Amino acid sequence: MNTETNSNKESLDNQVVIIGAGPAGLTAGYELLKEGIHSTVVEKDNVVGGLSRTVNYNGYHFDIGGHRFFTKVQVVDDMWHEVLGDDFLTRSRLSRIFYNNKFFNYPFNLTNALFGLGIWNSIMIVISYLWAQVFPQKPEKTFDQWVSNRFGRRLYKIFFETYTEKVWGIPCNEISAEWAAQRIKGLSLLKAIKNTLIKEQTGNKQLVVKTLIDSFKYPKYGPGMMWEKVTDILNRDGSRVLLNSDVSKIYINNNRVEKIEIIENGNSKDISGNNFISSMPIRELIQKFDPPVPDEILKTANDLKYRDFLTVSLVVKKKDVFPDNWIYIHDPKVEVGRIQNFKNWSKDMVPSEEKTCLGLEYFCFEGDGLWSMDDKDLIELGKKELQQTGLVDASLVEDGTVVRMPKAYPVYDSTYLESVNTIRKYLNDIGNLQLIGRNGMHKYNNQDHSMLTAMLAVKNILGANYDLWKVNADQEYHEEISKDEVTDFKALSSTQPLVPETVTQSPVDIAIIRAFARLDKLAFAISIGAVAGMAIFLATLILILKGGNVIGPNLNLLGQYFIGYTVSIKGAFIGFGYSFLWGFIFGWLFAYLRNFFTGLYILRIKKKTEYSSFKDFIDYI
Amino acid sequence: MTNNFNENKLLEAVAILNAKVLGLILGLILGFIIFFITIWIVLKGPQLSPSGQYVMGPHLQLLSQFFIGYSVSYIGSIVGFVYGFAFGTIFGTLIGWIYNKIVVLKQKS
Repeated sequence: MNTETNSNKESLDNQVVIIGAGPAGLTAGYELLKEGIHSTVVEKDNVVGGLSRTVNYNGYHFDIGGHRFFTKVQVVDDMWHEVLGDDFLTRSRLSRIFYNNKFFNYPFNLTNALFGLGIWNSIMIVISYLWAQVFPQKPEKTFDQWVSNRFGRRLYKIFFETYTEKVWGIPCNEISAEWAAQRIKGLSLLKAIKNTLIKEQTGNKQLVVKTLIDSFKYPKYGPGMMWEKVTDILNRDGSRVLLNSDVSKIYINNNRVEKIEIIENGNSKDISGNNFISSMPIRELIQKFDPPVPDEILKTANDLKYRDFLTVSLVVKKKDVFPDNWIYIHDPKVEVGRIQNFKNWSKDMVPSEEKTCLGLEYFCFEGDGLWSMDDKDLIELGKKELQQTGLVDASLVEDGTVVRMPKAYPVYDSTYLESVNTIRKYLNDIGNLQLIGRNGMHKYNNQDHSMLTAMLAVKNILGANYDLWKVNADQEYHEEISKDEVTDFKALSSTQPLVPETVTQSPVDIAIIRAFARLDKLAFAISIGAVAGMAIFLATLILILKGGNVIGPNLNLLGQYFIGYTVSIKGAFIGFGYSFLWGFIFGWLFAYLRNFFTGLYILRIKKKTEYSSFKDFIDYI
Repeated sequence: MTNNFNENKLLEAVAILNAKVLGLILGLILGFIIFFITIWIVLKGPQLSPSGQYVMGPHLQLLSQFFIGYSVSYIGSIVGFVYGFAFGTIFGTLIGWIYNKIVVLKQKS
């Protein structure tokens, strides 16, 4: 058995090609190396880490977006600790919302928000919330309607509209309500009931939320440090990480990837292999197939959209600017969406204690006005907007740089799911190609999830048969994996943004649905009435059959309530009628009250869940 | 999608009763009520009736008109439990059965 495994590993050595040196690609390389298999990682950029890179500008380190390290998946956490060791810091978190020249706590605190907005605004918020509860907008088709119906129009306008539009570049009334419902996974009523019912689960969740809110882990020199270290390990131990290597062609032969062609420093080169793992955007992957894919598939791939992102990093001659790790900018007068203060992520990110490095984040589309602006103009825009917000005096900015990050977010538009499914079906036939990571799978994954898909891909190469697309989509799937892994997968699932799921119901869901299903009032009333009527009817008949001088003197007393009732054949029918009537009334009332209080219980859980998702709503946008 | 699907199911679901379980529960409840009431009356001892005689639970004794062999005594409490359990089970099962039939009929229509 061991000999077989070893010979399998030997045949794989130097035969695995990984496209992309982001968290997913490098994790795959690292996991292969742990199995004694050397691989080749190709990266078109000149740095590793993908979206999780850290840029070093004259000694100032900054992220492309802030990357908190948090996972419930033990294997991922283990890898972070394994690689970073003592350089993995625990940082306390502070992030607030800046609106109307005021700071608001984030995650939201209703009291803080109401006090900060003033009495008039608070009254209007309460009124608009009540209005939305009594007169919700129907049909609920768009994102703005969806949010307004839950939190009120006023609160939506203040806290959700501007930021959402900045992030996605689409007016909120053009974003579908379904998208909101999908993204805000915390609002799953069934899940909320489950958590309320299963105390242990609720306890764990609270702990997790608290951990995420209060603190997080972070590498001393930013997330890029992690991926630079992994790259060093790979290069040191015999694998190869090739930078500036753009994949130009992917040669397919007999439903297998035979080799890829890369352009390295202007020269083309072929890299052959037995197994290929790709974390490059699906759209680009499909475009590079040789022979080309059918037109229909190419068109489908081209339909996939991405939101891009740029950071204007400014060096400020000031020791302390603000205490937050980052600030959400909700002011519609400026284009900046978020401002990172990298010194507050780790003091080692900035070379001088007397200075601060701020990252102004702009969400944009590749090629649009912002994207195409000169770096100089973008730096000026950043300075101007900093001044405008009043957070920093622009004259204190002494230097700056710009980093553009294309395809930062896969867009979940109305067609993406169908497109991804079509491409998946097509790629299924290519036996030695696996897709991993955020853009590789067009899934809005966090770093840990991307890493896990890579770990599974490696297991598949070694002989396992995991369907990476089902990792957190099909609950049944988890049961097929070993116990330890089940814990990891399930834990991971709850930390992830929602991904497309098949319509499946777990036994727990079914049990909850059954337990909370409403009683049919009419049916319950009739059944109680019928049985009560039958009981009196039979009791009367029994006494008649028994006979005697005075038949059923005690049962006769029912006549005091059931006018006309006697212990007689006729009385048996009258008794049936009366008992049926009272049984019917009792049964109907019982069912009504039972449904009413169950509904009240569900409503209470729903409102509580809505409030809790309101608190960290921006995390889901 | 699954969330919405399950949520709709939750909000639209109509309960189907488990007739056997309902019968068992009602049977046990009725059985124990009769059992404990009988024991309680026996422990309290005979009461003076309007006719001046001491009698044991004259009203509860009326159950014997329907439950043959029942009396207000320790043995009667066991007999009463059995009768109560039997009738409760029948009534409960009947309630569940009728209810389910009506729900199914309504759903079909």
